[in-house]
Amino acid sequence: MRVEYINPFVEAAFNVLREVLSEEVKRGELFLKSTSQPVLGVAVIVGLTGDVEGRVLFDMKKSVALAIASQMNGEELQAMDDLAKATISELANMITGQAVTKLHELGFKFDLTPPAIITGDNMEVSNSGVEALIVPVELQAGKIEINVAVRERA
Amino acid sequence: MSTISDELKQEEAEKVENIDYKMVTFSLAGKDYGIDIMKVKEISKAKRFTYVPNADPYVRGVYNLRGDIISIIDLRIMFNLPAPKREEASFEDMIILRLDDYLIGVIVDSIDKVVGINSESIQPPHPIFGDINIKFIKGVVENEGRLYLILDVEKILGDTRHDEDTSAQPQLVTQPAREPEAEQDQAEKTGETDYAFVVETLQTFRDFHVTEYNRNWVRSRFEEWRQQRTNEGAEVQLQEAEDADRFLQSFYSPYSGGFWGNDYCSSVKEILKQLQVQGNVMVWNPGCGAGYETYSLTIILKESFPNSQLKVWAHDNDLLNISTAPNLIFSSADLSEELEEYTVEGKNGLQFNKEIRDAIFFEFHNVLHSNPFPEVDLIVARDILSFQKQDEQDGLVQEFSEKLKPGGILILGRHEEILSDMFEDISNGMVHAYRKR
Repeated sequence: MRVEYINPFVEAAFNVLREVLSEEVKRGELFLKSTSQPVLGVAVIVGLTGDVEGRVLFDMKKSVALAIASQMNGEELQAMDDLAKATISELANMITGQAVTKLHELGFKFDLTPPAIITGDNMEVSNSGVEALIVPVELQAGKIEINVAVRERA
Repeated sequence: MSTISDELKQEEAEKVENIDYKMVTFSLAGKDYGIDIMKVKEISKAKRFTYVPNADPYVRGVYNLRGDIISIIDLRIMFNLPAPKREEASFEDMIILRLDDYLIGVIVDSIDKVVGINSESIQPPHPIFGDINIKFIKGVVENEGRLYLILDVEKILGDTRHDEDTSAQPQLVTQPAREPEAEQDQAEKTGETDYAFVVETLQTFRDFHVTEYNRNWVRSRFEEWRQQRTNEGAEVQLQEAEDADRFLQSFYSPYSGGFWGNDYCSSVKEILKQLQVQGNVMVWNPGCGAGYETYSLTIILKESFPNSQLKVWAHDNDLLNISTAPNLIFSSADLSEELEEYTVEGKNGLQFNKEIRDAIFFEFHNVLHSNPFPEVDLIVARDILSFQKQDEQDGLVQEFSEKLKPGGILILGRHEEILSDMFEDISNGMVHAYRKR
Protein backbone atom coordinates (compact mmCIF):
# COMPACT_ATOMS: atom_id res chain seq x y z
CA MET A 1 0.00 0.00 0.00
CA ARG A 2 1.37 3.38 -0.97
CA VAL A 3 2.83 5.30 1.91
CA GLU A 4 0.90 8.40 0.92
CA TYR A 5 -2.40 6.63 1.56
CA ILE A 6 -1.68 5.61 5.12
CA ASN A 7 -1.81 8.91 6.94
CA PRO A 8 -5.12 10.16 5.51
CA PHE A 9 -6.87 7.04 6.79
CA VAL A 10 -5.27 7.18 10.20
CA GLU A 11 -5.91 10.90 10.60
CA ALA A 12 -9.49 10.71 9.38
CA ALA A 13 -10.26 7.89 11.79
CA PHE A 14 -8.90 9.87 14.71
CA ASN A 15 -10.54 13.15 13.83
CA VAL A 16 -13.95 11.62 13.30
CA LEU A 17 -13.88 9.32 16.31
CA ARG A 18 -12.64 12.08 18.58
CA GLU A 19 -15.36 14.37 17.34
CA VAL A 20 -18.35 12.02 17.56
CA LEU A 21 -17.38 10.34 20.82
CA SER A 22 -15.80 13.41 22.42
CA GLU A 23 -13.11 11.33 24.08
CA GLU A 24 -9.39 10.77 23.61
CA VAL A 25 -8.59 8.00 21.14
CA LYS A 26 -5.37 5.99 21.26
CA ARG A 27 -3.67 4.44 18.29
CA GLY A 28 -2.17 0.98 18.33
CA GLU A 29 0.80 -0.17 16.27
CA LEU A 30 0.08 -0.29 12.54
CA PHE A 31 0.87 -3.56 10.83
CA LEU A 32 0.39 -5.53 7.62
CA LYS A 33 -1.51 -8.73 7.23
CA SER A 34 -2.17 -10.95 4.27
CA THR A 35 -3.78 -14.01 5.77
CA SER A 36 -7.40 -14.28 6.73
CA GLN A 37 -8.33 -13.04 10.14
CA PRO A 38 -11.37 -13.25 12.36
CA VAL A 39 -13.99 -10.54 12.31
CA LEU A 40 -14.89 -9.41 15.81
CA GLY A 41 -18.68 -9.37 15.35
CA VAL A 42 -19.70 -6.20 13.56
CA ALA A 43 -18.02 -5.25 10.29
CA VAL A 44 -18.69 -2.32 8.00
CA ILE A 45 -17.26 -2.45 4.50
CA VAL A 46 -16.71 0.57 2.28
CA GLY A 47 -15.42 -0.12 -1.21
CA LEU A 48 -12.84 2.09 -2.90
CA THR A 49 -12.33 2.65 -6.61
CA GLY A 50 -10.60 5.21 -8.78
CA ASP A 51 -6.80 5.27 -8.89
CA VAL A 52 -6.91 2.19 -6.74
CA GLU A 53 -9.16 -0.76 -6.08
CA GLY A 54 -9.86 -2.10 -2.65
CA ARG A 55 -11.90 -1.65 0.46
CA VAL A 56 -11.87 -0.40 4.00
CA LEU A 57 -13.27 -2.61 6.70
CA PHE A 58 -14.17 -1.38 10.17
CA ASP A 59 -14.22 -4.23 12.58
CA MET A 60 -15.41 -4.19 16.20
CA LYS A 61 -17.15 -6.21 18.86
CA LYS A 62 -20.90 -5.91 19.16
CA SER A 63 -20.60 -4.30 22.60
CA VAL A 64 -18.26 -1.65 21.18
CA ALA A 65 -20.59 -1.01 18.26
CA LEU A 66 -23.52 -0.57 20.65
CA ALA A 67 -21.56 1.77 22.90
CA ILE A 68 -20.54 3.93 19.96
CA ALA A 69 -24.03 3.98 18.48
CA SER A 70 -25.50 4.91 21.88
CA GLN A 71 -23.03 7.72 22.33
CA MET A 72 -23.66 9.08 18.84
CA ASN A 73 -27.44 8.98 19.22
CA GLY A 74 -27.46 10.31 22.74
CA GLU A 75 -29.59 7.40 23.99
CA GLU A 76 -28.91 3.95 25.36
CA LEU A 77 -29.33 1.35 22.61
CA GLN A 78 -29.83 -2.24 23.75
CA ALA A 79 -29.58 -4.26 20.52
CA MET A 80 -28.12 -3.99 17.05
CA ASP A 81 -31.35 -2.68 15.59
CA ASP A 82 -31.74 -0.66 12.40
CA LEU A 83 -30.82 2.56 14.16
CA ALA A 84 -27.62 1.12 15.59
CA LYS A 85 -26.64 -0.38 12.24
CA ALA A 86 -27.33 2.84 10.40
CA THR A 87 -25.28 4.76 12.94
CA ILE A 88 -22.25 2.51 12.64
CA SER A 89 -22.49 2.56 8.83
CA GLU A 90 -22.59 6.32 8.95
CA LEU A 91 -19.51 6.41 11.15
CA ALA A 92 -17.63 4.29 8.60
CA ASN A 93 -18.88 6.54 5.83
CA MET A 94 -17.69 9.65 7.64
CA ILE A 95 -14.21 8.28 8.27
CA THR A 96 -13.71 6.95 4.75
CA GLY A 97 -15.20 10.11 3.27
CA GLN A 98 -12.84 12.33 5.19
CA ALA A 99 -9.86 10.14 4.22
CA VAL A 100 -10.83 10.28 0.56
CA THR A 101 -11.15 14.06 0.78
CA LYS A 102 -7.65 14.29 2.24
CA LEU A 103 -6.34 12.02 -0.48
CA HIS A 104 -7.99 14.16 -3.09
CA GLU A 105 -6.12 17.19 -1.77
CA LEU A 106 -2.91 15.24 -2.26
CA GLY A 107 -3.83 14.54 -5.87
CA PHE A 108 -5.19 10.99 -5.66
CA LYS A 109 -8.62 10.26 -7.07
CA PHE A 110 -10.67 7.85 -5.00
CA ASP A 111 -14.36 7.05 -5.13
CA LEU A 112 -16.23 5.16 -2.50
CA THR A 113 -19.21 2.85 -2.44
CA PRO A 114 -22.07 3.00 0.09
CA PRO A 115 -21.18 1.16 3.29
CA ALA A 116 -22.45 -2.34 3.94
CA ILE A 117 -22.76 -3.64 7.47
CA ILE A 118 -22.33 -7.28 8.37
CA THR A 119 -22.99 -8.75 11.79
CA GLY A 120 -22.63 -12.25 13.13
CA ASP A 121 -20.36 -14.58 15.04
CA ASN A 122 -17.37 -16.59 13.86
CA MET A 123 -16.76 -14.65 10.68
CA GLU A 124 -13.49 -14.35 8.87
CA VAL A 125 -12.20 -11.97 6.25
CA SER A 126 -9.49 -12.92 3.81
CA ASN A 127 -7.61 -10.63 1.50
CA SER A 128 -6.69 -12.75 -1.42
CA GLY A 129 -4.00 -11.11 -3.46
CA VAL A 130 -3.80 -7.93 -1.43
CA GLU A 131 -2.30 -7.35 1.95
CA ALA A 132 -4.21 -5.27 4.42
CA LEU A 133 -2.98 -2.42 6.58
CA ILE A 134 -4.42 -2.76 10.08
CA VAL A 135 -4.96 0.41 12.09
CA PRO A 136 -6.03 -0.53 15.62
CA VAL A 137 -7.86 2.24 17.48
CA GLU A 138 -8.36 2.09 21.26
CA LEU A 139 -11.56 3.61 22.62
CA GLN A 140 -12.96 3.62 26.14
CA ALA A 141 -15.60 1.12 25.07
CA GLY A 142 -13.07 -1.18 23.39
CA LYS A 143 -11.14 -1.57 20.17
CA ILE A 144 -11.96 -0.82 16.53
CA GLU A 145 -9.73 -2.31 13.86
CA ILE A 146 -9.60 -0.44 10.60
CA ASN A 147 -8.47 -2.79 7.89
CA VAL A 148 -7.46 -1.07 4.67
CA ALA A 149 -6.69 -3.21 1.63
CA VAL A 150 -6.07 -1.31 -1.59
CA ARG A 151 -3.88 -1.84 -4.59
CA GLU A 152 -2.93 0.25 -7.57
CA ARG A 153 -4.97 -0.29 -10.65
CA ALA A 154 -2.66 -2.03 -13.07
CA MET B 1 21.27 -89.76 12.31
CA SER B 2 17.88 -90.21 10.83
CA THR B 3 16.30 -88.00 13.49
CA ILE B 4 18.52 -85.09 12.53
CA SER B 5 17.72 -85.31 8.86
CA ASP B 6 14.05 -85.65 9.76
CA GLU B 7 14.27 -82.52 11.82
CA LEU B 8 15.94 -80.72 8.95
CA LYS B 9 13.27 -81.85 6.56
CA GLN B 10 10.61 -80.71 8.98
CA GLU B 11 12.25 -77.35 9.32
CA GLU B 12 12.46 -77.05 5.58
CA ALA B 13 8.81 -77.92 5.27
CA GLU B 14 7.87 -75.40 7.91
CA LYS B 15 9.70 -72.73 6.06
CA VAL B 16 7.92 -73.56 2.86
CA GLU B 17 4.59 -73.64 4.62
CA ASN B 18 5.22 -70.27 6.16
CA ILE B 19 5.42 -68.45 2.88
CA ASP B 20 3.17 -65.50 3.54
CA TYR B 21 4.80 -62.78 1.49
CA LYS B 22 5.29 -62.79 -2.22
CA MET B 23 7.18 -60.24 -4.15
CA VAL B 24 7.87 -59.47 -7.75
CA THR B 25 11.60 -59.27 -8.21
CA PHE B 26 13.48 -57.24 -10.74
CA SER B 27 16.89 -55.77 -11.27
CA LEU B 28 18.14 -52.21 -11.36
CA ALA B 29 21.77 -51.58 -12.26
CA GLY B 30 22.63 -55.22 -11.57
CA LYS B 31 21.11 -55.39 -8.11
CA ASP B 32 18.02 -57.33 -7.09
CA TYR B 33 14.93 -55.62 -5.79
CA GLY B 34 11.46 -56.75 -4.80
CA ILE B 35 8.03 -55.17 -4.58
CA ASP B 36 5.14 -56.59 -2.56
CA ILE B 37 2.97 -58.51 -5.00
CA MET B 38 -0.16 -57.11 -3.43
CA LYS B 39 0.81 -53.73 -4.81
CA VAL B 40 1.46 -55.06 -8.29
CA LYS B 41 -1.43 -55.12 -10.71
CA GLU B 42 0.47 -56.65 -13.56
CA ILE B 43 3.74 -56.69 -15.39
CA SER B 44 4.10 -55.84 -19.02
CA LYS B 45 6.39 -54.56 -21.70
CA ALA B 46 5.85 -51.24 -23.32
CA LYS B 47 7.48 -48.62 -25.47
CA ARG B 48 6.85 -45.19 -26.90
CA PHE B 49 5.56 -43.30 -23.92
CA THR B 50 3.94 -39.97 -24.50
CA TYR B 51 6.27 -37.31 -23.18
CA VAL B 52 4.79 -34.84 -20.69
CA PRO B 53 6.40 -31.42 -20.83
CA ASN B 54 7.67 -29.83 -17.64
CA ALA B 55 7.28 -32.99 -15.56
CA ASP B 56 9.97 -34.14 -13.14
CA PRO B 57 12.88 -35.80 -14.95
CA TYR B 58 12.05 -39.28 -13.67
CA VAL B 59 8.57 -39.11 -15.19
CA ARG B 60 8.93 -40.79 -18.56
CA GLY B 61 5.49 -39.81 -19.72
CA VAL B 62 2.04 -41.30 -19.89
CA TYR B 63 0.93 -44.59 -21.40
CA ASN B 64 -2.35 -45.96 -22.59
CA LEU B 65 -2.92 -49.25 -20.79
CA ARG B 66 -5.95 -50.68 -22.54
CA GLY B 67 -7.84 -47.45 -22.21
CA ASP B 68 -6.50 -46.33 -18.82
CA ILE B 69 -4.01 -43.50 -19.02
CA ILE B 70 -1.26 -44.13 -16.49
CA SER B 71 1.89 -42.22 -15.58
CA ILE B 72 5.21 -43.92 -16.18
CA ILE B 73 8.11 -43.44 -13.80
CA ASP B 74 11.66 -44.54 -14.45
CA LEU B 75 13.06 -45.87 -11.17
CA ARG B 76 16.63 -45.69 -12.46
CA ILE B 77 16.39 -41.96 -13.03
CA MET B 78 14.58 -41.50 -9.76
CA PHE B 79 17.33 -43.30 -7.86
CA ASN B 80 20.18 -41.91 -9.94
CA LEU B 81 21.20 -45.34 -11.19
CA PRO B 82 22.80 -45.91 -14.56
CA ALA B 83 20.41 -47.27 -17.16
CA PRO B 84 21.67 -49.65 -19.85
CA LYS B 85 21.58 -48.25 -23.36
CA ARG B 86 18.84 -49.68 -25.49
CA GLU B 87 17.43 -49.20 -28.92
CA GLU B 88 15.16 -46.24 -29.35
CA ALA B 89 11.92 -48.13 -29.91
CA SER B 90 12.61 -51.36 -28.05
CA PHE B 91 10.28 -52.68 -25.38
CA GLU B 92 11.04 -51.95 -21.78
CA ASP B 93 10.03 -53.97 -18.72
CA MET B 94 7.35 -52.31 -16.73
CA ILE B 95 5.60 -53.08 -13.46
CA ILE B 96 2.13 -51.64 -13.10
CA LEU B 97 1.44 -50.77 -9.49
CA ARG B 98 -1.87 -50.20 -7.84
CA LEU B 99 -1.54 -47.48 -5.19
CA ASP B 100 -4.56 -46.36 -3.19
CA ASP B 101 -6.72 -45.09 -5.99
CA TYR B 102 -4.49 -44.85 -9.00
CA LEU B 103 -2.26 -46.91 -11.23
CA ILE B 104 1.31 -46.07 -11.97
CA GLY B 105 3.86 -47.72 -14.23
CA VAL B 106 7.43 -48.24 -13.09
CA ILE B 107 10.22 -48.98 -15.55
CA VAL B 108 13.01 -51.29 -14.44
CA ASP B 109 15.99 -52.94 -16.14
CA SER B 110 14.43 -56.39 -16.22
CA ILE B 111 11.73 -58.25 -14.37
CA ASP B 112 12.89 -61.53 -12.85
CA LYS B 113 10.22 -63.67 -11.22
CA VAL B 114 7.88 -63.97 -8.28
CA VAL B 115 9.56 -65.08 -5.07
CA GLY B 116 7.70 -66.34 -2.04
CA ILE B 117 9.23 -65.78 1.36
CA ASN B 118 8.37 -65.81 5.01
CA SER B 119 7.73 -62.26 6.11
CA GLU B 120 9.57 -62.98 9.37
CA SER B 121 12.76 -63.43 7.42
CA ILE B 122 12.68 -59.84 6.19
CA GLN B 123 15.36 -57.85 7.94
CA PRO B 124 15.39 -54.11 8.44
CA PRO B 125 17.52 -52.20 5.96
CA HIS B 126 21.06 -51.35 6.82
CA PRO B 127 22.31 -47.83 6.11
CA ILE B 128 25.07 -49.30 3.99
CA PHE B 129 22.76 -49.70 1.00
CA GLY B 130 23.61 -46.32 -0.26
CA ASP B 131 22.24 -46.24 -3.78
CA ILE B 132 18.69 -45.72 -2.69
CA ASN B 133 17.53 -43.50 0.08
CA ILE B 134 17.04 -45.76 3.05
CA LYS B 135 13.53 -44.63 3.84
CA PHE B 136 12.38 -46.16 0.57
CA ILE B 137 13.56 -49.63 1.61
CA LYS B 138 11.17 -51.75 3.59
CA GLY B 139 13.70 -54.45 4.30
CA VAL B 140 16.20 -56.96 2.99
CA VAL B 141 15.56 -60.63 2.42
CA GLU B 142 17.68 -63.55 1.35
CA ASN B 143 16.36 -66.19 -1.02
CA GLU B 144 18.25 -68.91 -2.78
CA GLY B 145 21.54 -67.19 -2.27
CA ARG B 146 20.40 -63.82 -3.53
CA LEU B 147 19.72 -60.71 -1.51
CA TYR B 148 16.65 -58.70 -2.42
CA LEU B 149 15.93 -55.16 -1.35
CA ILE B 150 12.23 -54.77 -0.82
CA LEU B 151 11.08 -51.35 -1.92
CA ASP B 152 8.35 -49.49 -0.09
CA VAL B 153 6.46 -48.22 -3.12
CA GLU B 154 3.95 -46.36 -1.02
CA LYS B 155 6.77 -44.24 0.37
CA ILE B 156 8.50 -43.74 -2.95
CA LEU B 157 5.57 -42.82 -5.08
CA GLY B 158 3.27 -41.61 -2.32
CA ASP B 159 5.96 -39.18 -1.18
CA THR B 160 6.31 -37.36 -4.45
CA ARG B 161 2.64 -36.78 -4.52
CA HIS B 162 2.75 -35.42 -1.03
CA ASP B 163 5.58 -33.06 -1.89
CA GLU B 164 3.71 -31.64 -4.79
CA ASP B 165 0.70 -31.07 -2.62
CA THR B 166 2.43 -29.11 0.08
CA SER B 167 4.62 -26.98 -2.11
CA ALA B 168 3.27 -24.60 -4.65
CA GLN B 169 6.75 -24.28 -6.12
CA PRO B 170 7.76 -27.65 -7.49
CA GLN B 171 11.12 -26.37 -8.66
CA LEU B 172 12.13 -25.76 -5.13
CA VAL B 173 11.30 -29.20 -3.85
CA THR B 174 14.54 -30.67 -5.04
CA GLN B 175 16.89 -27.90 -4.04
CA PRO B 176 16.63 -26.98 -0.38
CA ALA B 177 15.71 -29.54 2.32
CA ARG B 178 19.33 -30.08 3.22
CA GLU B 179 19.85 -26.55 4.43
CA PRO B 180 19.56 -25.94 8.16
CA GLU B 181 20.78 -29.40 9.18
CA ALA B 182 23.48 -29.40 6.56
CA GLU B 183 24.71 -26.13 7.96
CA GLN B 184 25.20 -27.69 11.37
CA ASP B 185 26.49 -31.01 10.11
CA GLN B 186 29.15 -29.37 8.08
CA ALA B 187 30.24 -27.24 10.95
CA GLU B 188 30.35 -30.04 13.47
CA LYS B 189 32.20 -32.40 11.21
CA THR B 190 35.06 -30.00 10.88
CA GLY B 191 34.95 -29.25 14.57
CA GLU B 192 33.79 -25.71 13.98
CA THR B 193 31.34 -25.34 16.78
CA ASP B 194 32.24 -21.67 16.86
CA TYR B 195 31.04 -21.29 13.32
CA ALA B 196 27.79 -23.06 14.10
CA PHE B 197 27.34 -20.83 17.09
CA VAL B 198 27.96 -17.69 15.05
CA VAL B 199 25.43 -18.87 12.47
CA GLU B 200 22.94 -19.45 15.26
CA THR B 201 23.49 -16.10 16.99
CA LEU B 202 23.37 -14.08 13.78
CA GLN B 203 19.88 -15.43 13.43
CA THR B 204 18.93 -14.69 17.02
CA PHE B 205 20.34 -11.18 17.24
CA ARG B 206 19.82 -9.81 13.78
CA ASP B 207 17.52 -12.23 11.99
CA PHE B 208 20.32 -12.99 9.58
CA HIS B 209 19.87 -16.47 8.13
CA VAL B 210 22.90 -18.23 6.71
CA THR B 211 21.96 -20.09 3.53
CA GLU B 212 23.34 -20.90 0.13
CA TYR B 213 22.71 -17.30 -0.88
CA ASN B 214 25.28 -15.87 1.51
CA ARG B 215 27.25 -18.83 2.89
CA ASN B 216 30.41 -18.06 0.96
CA TRP B 217 30.60 -14.65 2.49
CA VAL B 218 29.81 -15.85 6.01
CA ARG B 219 32.51 -18.52 5.72
CA SER B 220 35.24 -16.12 4.71
CA ARG B 221 34.02 -13.44 7.06
CA PHE B 222 34.13 -15.96 9.89
CA GLU B 223 37.80 -16.72 9.24
CA GLU B 224 38.59 -13.04 9.20
CA TRP B 225 36.51 -12.47 12.33
CA ARG B 226 38.22 -15.28 14.20
CA GLN B 227 41.65 -13.84 13.40
CA GLN B 228 40.60 -10.40 14.44
CA ARG B 229 38.93 -11.48 17.66
CA THR B 230 41.79 -13.75 18.63
CA ASN B 231 44.23 -10.88 18.12
CA GLU B 232 42.06 -8.65 20.25
CA GLY B 233 41.81 -11.36 22.87
CA ALA B 234 38.04 -11.33 22.60
CA GLU B 235 35.53 -14.17 22.32
CA VAL B 236 35.02 -15.50 18.80
CA GLN B 237 31.40 -16.16 19.57
CA LEU B 238 28.87 -13.35 19.32
CA GLN B 239 27.80 -12.41 22.84
CA GLU B 240 25.36 -9.64 22.12
CA ALA B 241 23.56 -7.82 19.34
CA GLU B 242 26.44 -5.35 18.96
CA ASP B 243 28.79 -8.22 18.15
CA ALA B 244 26.41 -9.38 15.44
CA ASP B 245 26.37 -5.86 14.04
CA ARG B 246 30.16 -5.77 14.00
CA PHE B 247 30.28 -9.15 12.31
CA LEU B 248 27.83 -8.00 9.65
CA GLN B 249 29.49 -4.61 9.19
CA SER B 250 31.20 -5.61 5.97
CA PHE B 251 28.18 -7.54 4.71
CA TYR B 252 26.09 -4.59 3.68
CA SER B 253 26.25 -3.39 0.11
CA PRO B 254 28.08 -0.17 -0.76
CA TYR B 255 26.15 3.00 0.07
CA SER B 256 23.54 1.23 2.19
CA GLY B 257 21.24 3.80 3.74
CA GLY B 258 22.61 6.66 1.66
CA PHE B 259 22.73 7.94 -1.89
CA TRP B 260 24.91 5.94 -4.27
CA GLY B 261 28.31 7.33 -5.10
CA ASN B 262 29.56 7.88 -8.65
CA ASP B 263 31.56 4.64 -8.72
CA TYR B 264 28.59 2.49 -7.79
CA CYS B 265 26.30 4.40 -10.13
CA SER B 266 28.57 3.79 -13.09
CA SER B 267 28.85 0.05 -12.29
CA VAL B 268 25.07 -0.21 -12.23
CA LYS B 269 24.83 1.76 -15.48
CA GLU B 270 27.28 -0.67 -17.04
CA ILE B 271 25.00 -3.55 -16.11
CA LEU B 272 21.88 -1.78 -17.29
CA LYS B 273 23.40 -1.62 -20.77
CA GLN B 274 22.60 -5.31 -21.02
CA LEU B 275 18.92 -4.70 -20.41
CA GLN B 276 16.66 -4.73 -23.43
CA VAL B 277 13.54 -2.70 -22.86
CA GLN B 278 10.51 -1.94 -24.92
CA GLY B 279 8.48 1.10 -23.98
CA ASN B 280 7.99 1.24 -20.21
CA VAL B 281 10.69 0.27 -17.78
CA MET B 282 9.20 -1.46 -14.77
CA VAL B 283 11.35 -1.83 -11.69
CA TRP B 284 10.87 -3.48 -8.33
CA ASN B 285 12.91 -2.34 -5.37
CA PRO B 286 12.00 -4.38 -2.29
CA GLY B 287 13.67 -3.35 0.96
CA CYS B 288 14.07 0.25 -0.15
CA GLY B 289 14.36 1.61 3.39
CA ALA B 290 14.12 5.39 3.54
CA GLY B 291 14.37 5.62 -0.24
CA TYR B 292 17.96 6.77 -0.80
CA GLU B 293 18.68 3.71 -2.89
CA THR B 294 15.44 4.06 -4.85
CA TYR B 295 16.11 7.67 -5.81
CA SER B 296 19.68 6.91 -6.87
CA LEU B 297 18.46 4.00 -8.93
CA THR B 298 15.63 5.96 -10.52
CA ILE B 299 18.00 8.69 -11.66
CA ILE B 300 20.39 6.14 -13.17
CA LEU B 301 17.46 4.55 -14.99
CA LYS B 302 16.32 7.93 -16.19
CA GLU B 303 19.75 8.52 -17.71
CA SER B 304 20.07 5.01 -19.13
CA PHE B 305 16.62 4.96 -20.72
CA PRO B 306 15.81 8.60 -21.44
CA ASN B 307 12.97 7.78 -23.82
CA SER B 308 11.14 5.31 -21.64
CA GLN B 309 8.38 5.74 -19.13
CA LEU B 310 9.70 4.71 -15.72
CA LYS B 311 7.76 2.97 -12.98
CA VAL B 312 9.52 1.95 -9.78
CA TRP B 313 7.74 -0.02 -7.06
CA ALA B 314 9.67 0.55 -3.85
CA HIS B 315 8.67 -1.56 -0.87
CA ASP B 316 9.63 -1.77 2.75
CA ASN B 317 7.90 -3.17 5.78
CA ASP B 318 9.47 -0.67 8.16
CA LEU B 319 6.75 1.97 8.38
CA LEU B 320 8.86 4.62 10.10
CA ASN B 321 11.59 4.40 7.50
CA ILE B 322 9.45 4.37 4.42
CA SER B 323 6.99 7.04 5.51
CA THR B 324 9.67 9.69 5.03
CA ALA B 325 10.65 8.33 1.61
CA PRO B 326 8.07 9.97 -0.69
CA ASN B 327 9.05 13.44 0.49
CA LEU B 328 12.66 12.76 1.34
CA ILE B 329 14.49 15.90 2.38
CA PHE B 330 18.27 16.11 2.39
CA SER B 331 21.13 18.51 2.02
CA SER B 332 23.35 18.85 -1.02
CA ALA B 333 26.30 17.48 0.96
CA ASP B 334 24.56 14.08 1.06
CA LEU B 335 24.67 13.31 -2.60
CA SER B 336 27.06 13.30 -5.49
CA GLU B 337 27.03 16.00 -8.15
CA GLU B 338 25.65 13.63 -10.68
CA LEU B 339 22.41 13.25 -8.75
CA GLU B 340 22.19 16.90 -7.85
CA GLU B 341 20.78 18.14 -11.13
CA TYR B 342 17.52 16.30 -10.40
CA THR B 343 16.82 18.17 -7.20
CA VAL B 344 14.74 21.23 -6.38
CA GLU B 345 14.90 23.54 -3.40
CA GLY B 346 11.85 22.94 -1.22
CA LYS B 347 10.52 24.66 1.86
CA ASN B 348 12.44 22.48 4.27
CA GLY B 349 15.46 21.59 2.20
CA LEU B 350 16.51 19.87 -0.98
CA GLN B 351 14.08 17.45 -2.65
CA PHE B 352 14.03 15.49 -5.88
CA ASN B 353 12.03 16.97 -8.71
CA LYS B 354 8.51 15.93 -9.54
CA GLU B 355 9.50 13.84 -12.54
CA ILE B 356 11.67 11.59 -10.41
CA ARG B 357 9.22 11.41 -7.55
CA ASP B 358 6.30 10.63 -9.81
CA ALA B 359 8.15 7.63 -11.21
CA ILE B 360 8.31 5.96 -7.80
CA PHE B 361 5.56 4.24 -5.82
CA PHE B 362 6.67 3.93 -2.24
CA GLU B 363 4.60 1.26 -0.58
CA PHE B 364 4.37 -0.01 2.97
CA HIS B 365 4.44 -3.64 2.03
CA ASN B 366 5.80 -6.97 3.13
CA VAL B 367 7.42 -8.69 0.15
CA LEU B 368 6.55 -12.09 1.57
CA HIS B 369 2.89 -11.30 0.99
CA SER B 370 1.56 -11.38 -2.52
CA ASN B 371 3.07 -8.76 -4.80
CA PRO B 372 0.24 -7.39 -6.94
CA PHE B 373 2.00 -5.64 -9.79
CA PRO B 374 2.92 -6.63 -13.33
CA GLU B 375 6.16 -8.22 -14.52
CA VAL B 376 9.25 -6.07 -14.22
CA ASP B 377 12.46 -5.53 -16.18
CA LEU B 378 14.69 -4.97 -13.20
CA ILE B 379 14.68 -6.02 -9.55
CA VAL B 380 17.02 -4.38 -7.08
CA ALA B 381 16.94 -6.34 -3.84
CA ARG B 382 20.09 -5.54 -1.94
CA ASP B 383 20.68 -7.27 1.39
CA ILE B 384 17.08 -8.25 1.85
CA LEU B 385 17.28 -11.98 1.12
CA SER B 386 19.58 -12.77 4.02
CA PHE B 387 17.18 -11.35 6.55
CA GLN B 388 14.38 -13.75 5.69
CA LYS B 389 13.99 -17.29 6.93
CA GLN B 390 15.42 -20.15 4.88
CA ASP B 391 12.18 -21.18 3.18
CA GLU B 392 11.18 -17.56 2.71
CA GLN B 393 14.49 -16.91 0.95
CA ASP B 394 13.81 -19.74 -1.46
CA GLY B 395 10.28 -18.48 -1.98
CA LEU B 396 11.54 -14.97 -2.59
CA VAL B 397 14.09 -16.08 -5.18
CA GLN B 398 11.29 -17.99 -6.87
CA GLU B 399 9.13 -14.88 -6.73
CA PHE B 400 11.94 -12.79 -8.23
CA SER B 401 12.24 -15.24 -11.05
CA GLU B 402 8.49 -15.22 -11.66
CA LYS B 403 8.21 -11.45 -11.53
CA LEU B 404 11.09 -10.82 -13.94
CA LYS B 405 10.50 -10.65 -17.66
CA PRO B 406 12.70 -12.99 -19.69
CA GLY B 407 16.13 -11.40 -19.93
CA GLY B 408 15.31 -9.21 -16.93
CA ILE B 409 18.02 -8.34 -14.45
CA LEU B 410 18.18 -8.95 -10.72
CA ILE B 411 20.63 -6.98 -8.59
CA LEU B 412 21.42 -8.50 -5.22
CA GLY B 413 23.48 -7.33 -2.27
CA ARG B 414 27.24 -7.25 -2.58
CA HIS B 415 27.70 -10.49 -0.68
CA GLU B 416 24.64 -12.36 -1.81
CA GLU B 417 24.63 -14.81 -4.68
CA ILE B 418 22.28 -17.16 -6.47
CA LEU B 419 23.75 -20.45 -7.58
CA SER B 420 20.64 -21.60 -9.39
CA ASP B 421 20.75 -22.05 -13.13
CA MET B 422 17.58 -19.98 -13.40
CA PHE B 423 19.92 -16.99 -13.49
CA GLU B 424 23.09 -16.10 -15.32
CA ASP B 425 25.74 -14.23 -13.35
CA ILE B 426 26.55 -10.86 -14.93
CA SER B 427 28.15 -9.21 -11.89
CA ASN B 428 30.34 -6.21 -12.39
CA GLY B 429 32.73 -5.11 -9.65
CA MET B 430 30.76 -4.13 -6.58
CA VAL B 431 27.41 -4.89 -8.17
CA HIS B 432 26.14 -8.44 -7.96
CA ALA B 433 23.72 -8.90 -10.84
CA TYR B 434 21.97 -11.79 -12.53
CA ARG B 435 20.07 -12.12 -15.76
CA LYS B 436 17.04 -14.36 -15.92
CA ARG B 437 17.56 -17.08 -18.47
